[in-house]
Amino acid sequence: MNKKLKFIIVVLFAVLLVAACGPKEPANQLESIKQAGKIVAGTSADYPPFEYVDESGEMVGFDVDLMNEIGKRMGVEMEIVDMPFDSLIAAVQEGKIDISVAAFNYTEERDKTVDFTDAYYYAEDGFLVTEDFAGEINKPEDAANYSVGVQTGSTADGWATENLVDAGLMSDGNLFRYERMDQAALDVKNGRIDVLITDYIPALSLAEGVGGLKVVYHAEVSTGPVNIIVPEGATELTAALNDIIAAMLEDGFIEELSVNHIGQ
Amino acid sequence: MLLESIKFILMGTYVTIAVIAVALPLGFIFGLLLALIHVYGSPLISRLTSIYSTVMRGVPPIVLLFLLFFVIAGSINLSPFLAGSLALGIISSAYQLEIFRGAIQSVSSGQMIAARSIGMSRLKAVLYIILPQALRFAIPPWSNEVSTVIKDSSLVYALGVAEILRRSQFVAARTYKPMLAFSVAALIYFLMTFIANRFLDEVERRTRIPAH
Repeated sequence: MNKKLKFIIVVLFAVLLVAACGPKEPANQLESIKQAGKIVAGTSADYPPFEYVDESGEMVGFDVDLMNEIGKRMGVEMEIVDMPFDSLIAAVQEGKIDISVAAFNYTEERDKTVDFTDAYYYAEDGFLVTEDFAGEINKPEDAANYSVGVQTGSTADGWATENLVDAGLMSDGNLFRYERMDQAALDVKNGRIDVLITDYIPALSLAEGVGGLKVVYHAEVSTGPVNIIVPEGATELTAALNDIIAAMLEDGFIEELSVNHIGQ
Repeated sequence: MLLESIKFILMGTYVTIAVIAVALPLGFIFGLLLALIHVYGSPLISRLTSIYSTVMRGVPPIVLLFLLFFVIAGSINLSPFLAGSLALGIISSAYQLEIFRGAIQSVSSGQMIAARSIGMSRLKAVLYIILPQALRFAIPPWSNEVSTVIKDSSLVYALGVAEILRRSQFVAARTYKPMLAFSVAALIYFLMTFIANRFLDEVERRTRIPAH
């Protein structure tokens, strides 16, 4: 009986030992990406010229080229997945994707749930109005005199909520939040809202694409550095990406992207 | 360019059909099983199915979709497609439970008594007497549910599944012609529900019990 018990204990330990020595758990996100030989990046392909789907159904744009180059320089396969902009941060948080490259600006609010790499680009805000807009916007706060549109969850949304609505310059009923920029731009054109605040470069694309619109004012208001989003606490991954970004800025790759996709 | 865009959106129909092909049968199997349990099970089990149905029908599909994908599937690695289709199937099972419960209960209770009195077991009576009638009664409300599932399948776009709606968004963003893109999407959805409902009308007509 005693012998039997001993035997069982020995077997149990042996099983535990084998289990513990099994496939080694990767130590951090960078390790697990390298181990898998693949990095999964999320983007929202409805934001030309940064990320969009072209006529042939290919995902293209500034960020798409950037992601592919990052994969190349990391020596892993880059898998780009699309999801709506508002789902991206949650997807990074829950580990559904490794990183997100979608023209993200830094905000304190976002920083609480995810981490940011160094900036790979600097953006300005553009204030989009109709061509026959008769009002005046000389400083960002002037937008409070008009009905304003922003993209839900964008930095412009945060800025307008805090500095226009909460500051008492305009009522919340005058701030319209849209899921997508092209819907908002059409509402400007149709006269439902007066001003649309979004990144300057996409605003120029919208003005050209929709027609009858112009950017009346642009400055660094809510935007600024554009970064890659990484999971909270993924220090090794962040460091590796920062090295790649620094090298890309250094060797002119990003400048080339900007010329190719943005035209400046 | 116009034709290319329409073709591009049309390609999403396969994905949409795949979502429906998972969600609808899943909802059917679970819904019917739960309905049988509800009607013939013990009071406690019957109560549990009521709670299930109340909760599932009380949560917006999109919320449940997010819950399943981002919270429940955090540890198990479900693809957006699978998470989305399963969530839709679970939601649909609650509605189908109510449809089948109503249909089973509308078969008059005398049928069961008659079946038992000629010596059929309860299970046999359900399988051969109650269900064949109940499933016929269920067709009209069920075709309603089919329309709902076809249309709700568009919600999986929120998880990044490139079905009809998400593809229309791509086209709208690129061409700045949302009117065109979403009209194409609307037409595809309409045709799908129209054809499905026509088909079920035909099934209803052909399986009708004479003089019923």
